[in-house]
Amino acid sequence: MDRRRMVVLSAAESADYSFADEYKGPPLPYDIPHAVPIDVDRIPLAAVAPVSAALPDLPVVHPLPSPSSSPLKKPPPPHVTPAPPLPAASPTSVIENRAAMDRPGAEVSGALGSFGFPDRSTDLSEVVDSSGAIGFSDELGDGAAWSNEMMPNRLSTESALSSEFSFRSSASGDGDEDEAVALQAKKALLVTFQESGQSSCCMSPAVGVTPRARSEDLEMKIKKGACHRCLKGSRFTEKETCLVCDAKYCSGCVLRAMGSMPEGRKCISCIGFPILESNRERLGRSSRVLKKLLSSREVQLVMKAEKDCEANQLRPEDICVNGTKLSLEEMVLLQSCSCPPNLKPGLYWYDKVSGYWGKEGHKPDRIITPHLNVGGTLMRNASNGNTGILINGREITKVELQMLKWAGVHCAGNPHFWLNADGTYLEEGQKNVKGQIWEKPIMKLLCPVLSLPFPSKVANEVNNLFNRAVPDCFDTKALQKLLLVGHHESGTSTIFKQAKFLYSSVPFSEDEREDIKLMIQTSIYNYLAILLEGRERFEEESLDEQRDKQHLDSSGDVAFGKQNKVTEYSISPRLRAFSDWLLKIMASGNLEAIFPAATREYAPLVEELWKDSAIQATYSRRNELQSLPSYASYFLERVVDISRAEYEPSDMDILCADGINSSNGVAYTDFQFPCLACVGSSIDDDDQQEALLRYQLIRVHTMGLGENCKWLGMFEDVRIVIFCVAITDYDEYYEDANGMVRNKMMESRRIFEGIASHPTFEQMDFLLILSKIDLLDQKMDMAPLTLCDWFDDYNPVVSYHPHNKDRRGAQIGATKAQQAFHYTAVKFKRLFFSITGRKLYVAQANGLDGDSVDAALRYAKEIVKWEERLVCDILESMYGTEPSSYSH
Amino acid sequence: MSVAELKERHIAATATVNSLRERLKQRRQLLLDTDVAAYAKSQGRSAISFSTTDLICCRTLQGHTGKVYSLDWTPERNRIVSASQDGRLIVWNALTSQKTHAIKLQCPWVMTCAFAPNGQSVACGGLDSACSIFNLNSQVDRDGNIPVSRILTGHKGYVYSCQYVPDQETRLITSSGDQTCVLWDVTTGQRISVFGGEFPSGHTADVLSVSINSSNSNMFVSGSCDMTARLWDTRIASRAVGTYHGHQGDVNTVKFFPDGQRFGTGSDDSTCRLYDMRTGHQLQVYSQQHEGDDNDVPIVTSIAFSISGRLLFAGYSSGDCYVWDTLMAEVVLNLGTFQNSHEARISCLGLSSDGSALCTGSWDKNLKIWAFGGHRKVI
Repeated sequence: MDRRRMVVLSAAESADYSFADEYKGPPLPYDIPHAVPIDVDRIPLAAVAPVSAALPDLPVVHPLPSPSSSPLKKPPPPHVTPAPPLPAASPTSVIENRAAMDRPGAEVSGALGSFGFPDRSTDLSEVVDSSGAIGFSDELGDGAAWSNEMMPNRLSTESALSSEFSFRSSASGDGDEDEAVALQAKKALLVTFQESGQSSCCMSPAVGVTPRARSEDLEMKIKKGACHRCLKGSRFTEKETCLVCDAKYCSGCVLRAMGSMPEGRKCISCIGFPILESNRERLGRSSRVLKKLLSSREVQLVMKAEKDCEANQLRPEDICVNGTKLSLEEMVLLQSCSCPPNLKPGLYWYDKVSGYWGKEGHKPDRIITPHLNVGGTLMRNASNGNTGILINGREITKVELQMLKWAGVHCAGNPHFWLNADGTYLEEGQKNVKGQIWEKPIMKLLCPVLSLPFPSKVANEVNNLFNRAVPDCFDTKALQKLLLVGHHESGTSTIFKQAKFLYSSVPFSEDEREDIKLMIQTSIYNYLAILLEGRERFEEESLDEQRDKQHLDSSGDVAFGKQNKVTEYSISPRLRAFSDWLLKIMASGNLEAIFPAATREYAPLVEELWKDSAIQATYSRRNELQSLPSYASYFLERVVDISRAEYEPSDMDILCADGINSSNGVAYTDFQFPCLACVGSSIDDDDQQEALLRYQLIRVHTMGLGENCKWLGMFEDVRIVIFCVAITDYDEYYEDANGMVRNKMMESRRIFEGIASHPTFEQMDFLLILSKIDLLDQKMDMAPLTLCDWFDDYNPVVSYHPHNKDRRGAQIGATKAQQAFHYTAVKFKRLFFSITGRKLYVAQANGLDGDSVDAALRYAKEIVKWEERLVCDILESMYGTEPSSYSH
Repeated sequence: MSVAELKERHIAATATVNSLRERLKQRRQLLLDTDVAAYAKSQGRSAISFSTTDLICCRTLQGHTGKVYSLDWTPERNRIVSASQDGRLIVWNALTSQKTHAIKLQCPWVMTCAFAPNGQSVACGGLDSACSIFNLNSQVDRDGNIPVSRILTGHKGYVYSCQYVPDQETRLITSSGDQTCVLWDVTTGQRISVFGGEFPSGHTADVLSVSINSSNSNMFVSGSCDMTARLWDTRIASRAVGTYHGHQGDVNTVKFFPDGQRFGTGSDDSTCRLYDMRTGHQLQVYSQQHEGDDNDVPIVTSIAFSISGRLLFAGYSSGDCYVWDTLMAEVVLNLGTFQNSHEARISCLGLSSDGSALCTGSWDKNLKIWAFGGHRKVI
């Protein structure tokens, strides 16, 4: 209802009228009343007309065809009729006239003709406006009800409502409206109000005219330079042009004709249609008219929408290279290469070897970046040459032959050449280079004379970055950034590495592998040092015990006691020296300094040390060594292999290694989800669209996270934050910089709070991944979840009916680990809700299991997609049903 | 001596240090009878009067498509390098506001940039934990990018700030999230010395800023998330020469006073402070009363002194840029209230070497150059 009113009313332009059209819907059992609006002030007076009646050459401006006249009638020929004197000016007669106008067909033009006096242009605009509004009753089937309601108190409602909706036309920078326009610009779906008759015209199935054809139709009738809507103005008044149909609108009409511009400057009826190629230059360049009407923020949004919206993009299927239609990737490739061609829809040929580029049937137009994998194979007749000489399989034109001659190429006997991008050429089937075409300096001058291209030196275009950056829309639309963060050892790096293994063909380059190898070797020395430190402790303890024992049975021989100083934790002096040295290096903190030299020198020593019984004894008590990470045993078991210089880390080693790169820097990888749809036979459109989306997983080391997080602001453009928590952390502790022992789960929680409440991520979606879920089951048996202060109210329902495993029992019968997972998830969800008031998504993963990581990342993708849809649904409902809420 | 015993001793020693530090603080408090502003007032000095036309925005450098994070001037020629979140460094000619170079970075999360003293190369650092050096004269590659001429790796955390040693082309000091500062030899790519980290008396949190004394390039000062600033001598890497307490929040920026005997700091606690290098005293606090609750006090992101030291320019996260009279501790001008001021947080600012122009960079993607108008040329 409101939507319709909106169309009708406007305070700024009282010239706007509307009335219901004749009902065209399915037949109804009852009579349909005809509604005719009236405005006493604007009743056309007959007195004005007769003055000009005698003039022979009266310009008659023809009205827009009424949308109700479907199929479109040919407009009446622009003949000059001496205007018949209007009937006496009484409101009723006007109503009758208006009523007549509503009827389709010849009557319309006849009725309008009577208004067609030059000095009555205001009336004409009324007519146009009203015809614009007509469409609604037939578009929306309940038009009858509307007219019923509207008729009795037409005048009063108008005045009341016009004030209510005035915000549409008076474009001030008022906050609410800013928001409103911003919202509109976001989604094309929202533009449902402000529909003019034109849109309903193209909606009705009988009219198969594209807006373009129709606009040509219209153009004939509209005075040159006049606004297409109000038909006023000359060519000197500032106007805005529709990108699709080239219709021009004066500043007063732009907003009405174009609505909220969800796809930029297009008439409402043209929304969804591709723009005119000649207008591509104008994309995203705002005009003065727009700047006058809208606030700068609104203009910015509209221009962004205009540039980025799908309908305005160059469509790859419109471009044909060497007889093959381009795909989107190919087009992006063409646009982003260092010497891109000027792409417009059409047929082109492209010589991949030399980089020649031209229109099909024409001589080369320019030389673009060679070796782009674009289009089909070059045809012999691509440039329609008839010289018999071939360059890279294409018969060249006469002009090119001239150029070859000037370049000093012998062309006798119609040779076939291979021309490389650097200008060297050879004859087909031969190996020796015959010369360099571009080498003569004169060629640079001669080529333009023949209007042939000359290769631009890439080196010459110093820093032409600004011209050749990848088009914005591909940048922002196709790359969805996912931020992966978590506390130290929470599994972020494993998930990141797993994603690399999952989605990229070459997960790790040689350099990266070398880096990881060093990392593993460094950490193995680290673990060894921890073991050695533990050994010292154990040795002391056992010595103390022995001493105590000796004290107890003091009868023992002193000499015997001295001999007994050797415990099972003692090592030989040589190893002790090595151990002391290693511990010293560890203490000074520059363990990295000894690499990679250490691997060569100490590998045998490490082997000896590892095989020593003392170390083995210590290793068997590794549970007592707090600082030894749980996964250390994976590497320690194979320490002999790993400490060798020729060690090559396997994929599993890489996954298990601690960290991604030695510098702790940010790591990122671009990937696409491989299409799942290969299982099903058909790939629907949605999936195809999805396959094009590229994702970027960014993993940031958590050093400095928490309250001093200085760099979170850099990630405001990510789509989702994936926060990782190792679920096994609840009973693990670490020592912070001040020597305080902290629970890792509490620390994760602190960081999570910090990130969730960070202003940068105010509206961000969060996905919590509880990792290391595979280890939880074992751990739960040894340590209850309640060890962590935060989880002290964990009180799982224990099923006492293990035999009763029917449908209901399944839930109760969930494993302990599952229960713990759900409990932890709820804990975090509540925390997140208390901070942001929004919903937290939770997934579980086991970093070493590729499938679970894949599932978690796909879940993240779905959230992004789903949230996107949700937002636009909400906006639509806000807009569709209660636009009036913005005017209050 | 056993490990446990050592730990006990360590804890005891830490406690002693803390108590001594507390006593030192109290003693300082006792000795500090006045601050600069109070003394200047008692001497009958008054603040500089500034009209709105005295400092005007004469250029707006547009071209970045992301938030500007850092900028630096060349010492002699009027060029500026700026680093932005769009992953580019842009070298500008400040007079003509033209771009002379645009450098696309491997890692788009760049936090800092610096011009070499000879103006031939620029350095930048960011979340990749490395400092990359670009020679502006090197040939561009096929894609029109300037290749990296050297990457300084070795930091274990993000590089938040870097500065060339003024009189040495090949020396560079970086500060990092791994709690250290490092002096580099650019030609070899080696670390000459590491300040802090494992050594005692280093910073205990991320180091956000460094400033090198222009009159004695062996001395530099660093500001950190541990709420302190520390003074270092590049010849003695093992310990800090001095530690300056006082701030209630992360020290985001430090800058030497032009005479090289004092330095200024800017912090998350919304204050700027002036410290005396030799006595270790805090000479003055520059803070404004903020109405409203504590949560949205703007933080100081960057500071710069005028060439005489009389003015202190401070950029705030609110988009304000106050000009303080350092002597009277009064705000004499707020560039944020001007018609054509920045629309978002001011992230960096710097004064040209001759003191005639101020450049500010902001999260609104623009840089602006302010110059003294009217009868004043330089203060």
